[in-house]
Amino acid sequence: MGLIQEIDYGTKPANAETLVSLTIDGVAVSVPEGTSVMRAAMEIGTQIPKLCASDMLDSFGSCRLCLVEIEGRAGTPASCTTLVAEGMVVHTQNERLGRIRKGVMELYISDHPLDCLTCSANGDCELQDMAGAVGLRDVRYGYAGDNHLDAAKDVSNPYFRFDPAKCIVCSRCVRACEEVQGTFALTIAGRGFDSKVSPGMEENFFDSECVSCGACVQACPTATLMETSVIEIGQPEHSAVTTCAYCGVGCSFKAEMRGEQVVRMVPYKDGKANHGHSCVKGRFAWGYATHRDRITKPMIRAKITDPWHEVSWDEAIAHTASEFKHIQAKYGRSSVGGITSSRCTNEETYLVQKLVRAGFGNNNVDTCARVCHSPTGYGLSQTFGTSAGTQDFDSVEQADVMLLIGANPTDGHPVFASRMKKRLREGAKLIVIDPRRIDLVRTPHVEAEYHLPIRPGTNVAILSAIAHVIVTENLIDADYIRERCDADAFAHWAEFVSQERNSPEALAATTGVDPELVRKAARLYATGGNGAIYYGLGITEHSQGTTAVMALANLAMATGNIGRVGVGVNPLRGQNNVQGSCDMGSFPHEYTGYRHVGTENVRESFEIDWGIKLDPEPGLRIPNMLDAAIDGTFMGLYIQGEDIAQSDPDIKHITAGLSAMECVVVQDLFLNETAQFAHVFLPGSTFLEKNGTFTNAERRIQRVRKVMTPKNGYEDWEITQLISNAVGFPMNYAHPSEIMDEVARLTPTFANVSFDLLDRVGSVQWPCNEAAPEGTPIMHIDHFVRGQGRFFVTEYVPTDEKTGPRYPLLLTTGRILSQYNVGAQTRRTENSAWHKEDLLEIHPHDAEQRGVTDGSWVKVASRSGEIALHAKVTERVAPGVVYTTFHHPMTMANIVTTDYSDWATNCPEYKVTAVQVSPSNGPTDAQRDYAELGRRTRQIEVAAAE
Amino acid sequence: MKIFVPRDMAAVAVGADRVAAAIEAEARARNIPVSIVRNGSRGLFWLEPLVEVTTASGRIGYGPLSEADVPSLFEQRFFDGAPHPKCLGHVDKIPFLARQARFTFGRAGVIDPLSLDDYRHHGGFKGLESALSLGGVGIIAAVKESGLRGRGGAGFPTGIKWETVARTPASQKYIVCNADEGDSGTFADRLIMEADPFMLIEGMTIAGIGVGATKGYIYLRSEYPFAIRMMQQAIGIARHAGYLGASIDGSGAAFDIEVRVGAGAYVCGEETSLLDSLEGKRGQVRAKPPLPAIRGLFGRPTVINNTITLASVSFIMAEGAKAYAEIGYGRSRGTMPVQLAGNVKFGGLFECAFGVTLGELVNDIGGGTHSGRPVRAVQAGGPLGAYFPPALFDTPYDYEAFAKKDGLIGHGGLVVFDDTVDMAKMARFAMKFCAIESCGKCTPCRIGAVRGTETFDKIIAGIEPERNLALVRDLCETMKFGSLCALGGFTPYPVLSALDHFPEDFATPPLRHAAE
Amino acid sequence: MLHAIQEEFGYIPREAEPVIAEALNLSRAEVHGVITFYHDFRREPAGRHVLKICRAEACQSMGSEANAHRLLERLGLDWGGTTADGRITIEAVYCLGLCATAPSALLDGEPVGRLDAASLESLAMEAA
Repeated sequence: MGLIQEIDYGTKPANAETLVSLTIDGVAVSVPEGTSVMRAAMEIGTQIPKLCASDMLDSFGSCRLCLVEIEGRAGTPASCTTLVAEGMVVHTQNERLGRIRKGVMELYISDHPLDCLTCSANGDCELQDMAGAVGLRDVRYGYAGDNHLDAAKDVSNPYFRFDPAKCIVCSRCVRACEEVQGTFALTIAGRGFDSKVSPGMEENFFDSECVSCGACVQACPTATLMETSVIEIGQPEHSAVTTCAYCGVGCSFKAEMRGEQVVRMVPYKDGKANHGHSCVKGRFAWGYATHRDRITKPMIRAKITDPWHEVSWDEAIAHTASEFKHIQAKYGRSSVGGITSSRCTNEETYLVQKLVRAGFGNNNVDTCARVCHSPTGYGLSQTFGTSAGTQDFDSVEQADVMLLIGANPTDGHPVFASRMKKRLREGAKLIVIDPRRIDLVRTPHVEAEYHLPIRPGTNVAILSAIAHVIVTENLIDADYIRERCDADAFAHWAEFVSQERNSPEALAATTGVDPELVRKAARLYATGGNGAIYYGLGITEHSQGTTAVMALANLAMATGNIGRVGVGVNPLRGQNNVQGSCDMGSFPHEYTGYRHVGTENVRESFEIDWGIKLDPEPGLRIPNMLDAAIDGTFMGLYIQGEDIAQSDPDIKHITAGLSAMECVVVQDLFLNETAQFAHVFLPGSTFLEKNGTFTNAERRIQRVRKVMTPKNGYEDWEITQLISNAVGFPMNYAHPSEIMDEVARLTPTFANVSFDLLDRVGSVQWPCNEAAPEGTPIMHIDHFVRGQGRFFVTEYVPTDEKTGPRYPLLLTTGRILSQYNVGAQTRRTENSAWHKEDLLEIHPHDAEQRGVTDGSWVKVASRSGEIALHAKVTERVAPGVVYTTFHHPMTMANIVTTDYSDWATNCPEYKVTAVQVSPSNGPTDAQRDYAELGRRTRQIEVAAAE
Repeated sequence: MKIFVPRDMAAVAVGADRVAAAIEAEARARNIPVSIVRNGSRGLFWLEPLVEVTTASGRIGYGPLSEADVPSLFEQRFFDGAPHPKCLGHVDKIPFLARQARFTFGRAGVIDPLSLDDYRHHGGFKGLESALSLGGVGIIAAVKESGLRGRGGAGFPTGIKWETVARTPASQKYIVCNADEGDSGTFADRLIMEADPFMLIEGMTIAGIGVGATKGYIYLRSEYPFAIRMMQQAIGIARHAGYLGASIDGSGAAFDIEVRVGAGAYVCGEETSLLDSLEGKRGQVRAKPPLPAIRGLFGRPTVINNTITLASVSFIMAEGAKAYAEIGYGRSRGTMPVQLAGNVKFGGLFECAFGVTLGELVNDIGGGTHSGRPVRAVQAGGPLGAYFPPALFDTPYDYEAFAKKDGLIGHGGLVVFDDTVDMAKMARFAMKFCAIESCGKCTPCRIGAVRGTETFDKIIAGIEPERNLALVRDLCETMKFGSLCALGGFTPYPVLSALDHFPEDFATPPLRHAAE
Repeated sequence: MLHAIQEEFGYIPREAEPVIAEALNLSRAEVHGVITFYHDFRREPAGRHVLKICRAEACQSMGSEANAHRLLERLGLDWGGTTADGRITIEAVYCLGLCATAPSALLDGEPVGRLDAASLESLAMEAA
């Protein structure tokens, strides 16, 4: 297994259908019109020397190494900026070109350190390669002239170093920051010989606008921008392509290794979700895999107040099985269950639900998607017929208007945000509906046409108001609706939204948004060309989450914005495998592919394949499991890769439920918050240690490849298999590919999926079957999956969580770029340098009223509880709204959130909590107690010598 | 009675404001009613401040004047055109002026630059009228027929450029006037803008109608504060009178102009970096293609022409393409405003047909050096132009003929040096200038110019002269063929011409050094 | 905009860069890149008077370099320097278009031509 070398064609591909024929060094080649001479040459294997060119970037023409001669044209044009023409005759190498290139290289090297042997890029340096390619043998200028060799290194960024002494001013980093990432954090300062790469205003990288996405490091042809890990370890020697385990974008990376040590993660250009881009998490924040906090040995204890003691795998598995069997014997078959994780692979998720349904003999399986995107699944399946987003990410390139609601892509889905920004810079329009002024409202070179700063909890109202404008101003696509949608349902819906009480004016008091702004935004979405809806947890995590999803679907259908490239309803999924975990039958009422457990023939197919009778009744959802535990009827829970004690709302209720159980089994990398209430701890494996697949937000199934031996001894699916065998339901998979084969066998939408196919084509988007052998990028093209698209009446019902004199502010929660979810991984990396603690964002007006100053301790109290944290006074939030993240367990943000949830799916209402904020002296008693509890319940006995 | 005192920056630099003030004070003291008109300059700079008075037989000139001359002028009743030691007679008959073909500079120094009446009275807006009746296709045909080539230096046929812009479909197109006249030895653009600004406005408007652009920008260098003020005032006056705005001269066609000021970057005279600078960015050179005619300012099709080019269009449209095309030399049609500068006796602007020889221009018209010493070198075409020795003075003034001698006409400047010049220093300066003004984008220019300067330092210091001269020649090849734009690409012209024509200055450096 | 700020303050203060960036919806880096590209924009306040001496070829042909060096030596400054009392800054400029009345200079925006060593010196010394 060697290092995967990706070809750099020097310039981007051209999309034209017309082919142009030319001759390069006597070899005929035909390439699409608009291709550069450089790329055409590369197509036939001719590498023209280059330094400033990269096929990730627009051609620039500054290094002057790629000069060629073209018959009939004067001079020596740069092949990167010269486009092919019919009949062109190109010469890439002759005596004169050789001389000029050598002359240019001689100039470069006259201002470059000669420390190749000790340089971190030694062996992976384009400057070094090019010096070799042009045959530079001598630098006649000497090295005593003006130079930059004494420029100081910038080591402010924890993940990469900037050594300007080695910079050749090719601007690839600057261009990558602009074109690929869209942050514009870098520039060239000064001019001429004084030109130098400058983060911000010649600040260091950490203090600049840099978001540490790594695009500049990736683009740098020398050691000027270099990963700290490469500097410390050395160049990698083998690599494998795998899929990032952070957000739902699903970026492809090359894990570049030395032995079993990760040297770096490099975004993979052939990755169809990220096209070679990355963010600070996937690119750099993988250090948790080897963090000292990681638990690698199984542990058990009798009571949660006891210290843990390490045991062998055999003992741990046997103990687990016997506990569960004991509980089922005592409390009945339904007294145990399992929770799958959106962080684990499809195969692992599938096995957990199989264990519950076949091994435990009930349907008490649920997933963490319950608390994020369950309304998406339900809402979209009801309206369109499929529980998933309608588009691929590439579709955004053809969107003319983006309606972004309840999502903050620059923080939550940064790689996709970069693609949105690129399209917005090209002229697409953006409507943002969000209580906060998120970055996309206004960020360099991007400005939303309209920002509708709604009051938290009024999504359905604002969407009804928009629908009202579209219907009453006759901006609907009547032909589309007639051909594609259920007429009665449409008529019923149209009548409903047309009612005066749903007008922007009537709802203004509810939403807090200027009705004229609503009207303008509605008109833009309906008439601005391809309209694409992107949304996130700000839509789903509400008491009307499902209603809001349906309302979005209604808008898309009414305006004909479903079923082609550039449009659609696109959920931005939170975790890496939310889509996959839902697809894999993690819900208590559904098998794989969203088929109800009560459906006879479906259940039969599983019964035959698994050779066991299955329960036709849906099982318990997570909140119901906890309720049942408190009631004394649910006593054993197997939790794989999920931390409900931090991520789920109303922690007091969660912990009470967990504490009531007799056997809680936690399988995770770390002693997470939930593990404080566990009796068995099974150490899990990281995504680097296993084979499998993840399915991203665009339904794309991608391979996860093992690049190191599991530190805990087993891949997660193997642990599940061991438990299943121990409880008496035999499983005998030798490799996750066999699990996927079973999924494909049992699931029509996955019929064609196999590891072989994925290895061959890279990735596929489901449905992937006979009808679509290599997958389906865009859904509902000719007709909706459910037949006719169905409009649903979306009556706005205010949440019961209301502000009042005692709790006058609305708290909403979300996340930030550098941290991920409950932070279990990112907090164990250098990412904490950017976000050491959760802060409460509060508007200056509200802060002033309460005597709260920037950086001071504040207490946030709700009907559920109270926490304390530091305040950040900012105008990003509107008056009356406060905001925090939930990345740090000590914040215990979910003490404050309520137990209200979505009417259809129980997805919790994280996004709206009435609170009061007041100055405070420090952590609350509850937070202090919790810290103490954490200390006590995490004690591990020193293992006796074996 | 009317007394003309130039307001031109060069005239002011040598005391025109003081002379004007003295005349006013003197007239008041003597209770003589005078009306002082602040005209532009005629371009006869060695005579500045050149004061003119109107008489029945024409305008009589006095110069060069200082405020000390004013009392005696009044004594001698100069306002009646009376004789005086500084009297130059009829200005039109001064040979330097009489020998010119003033197509583009006919009004320069004659009229009050901000008087629309003066402008109209002297043939102004005739070109616009004709353009409005001809329409886009007719305008472009006429410009092509005139044979007009870009006067900024590259000499690209203007009509073809305009046709490309006209044929590229776009919702918005632009006209950009490159008034970033940074070449040493040139001041023709400045003179147009300070002496006859409406002509430029008219020319840009015609271009706008020609290609379907409604917005024009004049990119003007900050080193020209007078021209900036003048253009801004002239645009305001033209707009007020309906010559700019939603309906030009009542035609229904819209066009307006904005002045944008540079900030001290020679490279912004290069058209693509000028466009970036206009967009508010670093003035870095862009790679071509795409051509600005197709993707120019803000990505839209853009005509970008030099000031003289656009101004010439007014003449062509007013007097007809034939009148322009009739004179010239070879493929160089029409007139060129040659600017005689530096150590020259008669320094100023000389507009004439192409074809006159370099020697005639320097010795005959320019009168040799100002210092009276022999002419040793003439740099033609600005800091990127070659140094010509007297041996090449028979070269006809023509784009192709100059190119054959490894030189260029550029923007029409000629800088004369006498025999005290040290050509090694001038060659070094050419490299140094490139280093100072390099945008830093391409390597040959960014690093090459610095290494070139350093290598000349070694040569001048007598360190391995032969080896280093060979290195400089190699560097020149790298810069010439490797550079992205003309700044790096043409710097070898002055360097190599100095090496080729004045080898003696590079030969025995230590001795030469000691002699200083 | 940058010209206006320089006009107002005499230079472009570093603190102004983020403000400009915010106003134009650009990054700080971009604004910084633009300001540092153009030699006109000063990063620090200049003296009360600014004398820009032309160093281009036409002025050189008339002896500008020797005159300028004499002045700089007299003031004890290098190009771009400001006298200790903050009275005057001497800057280089490359062509003012006054090439037929060379050598030339610009004192606080006012042009002066046909300078010799003595007149250049008095120009610089008399500016109070």
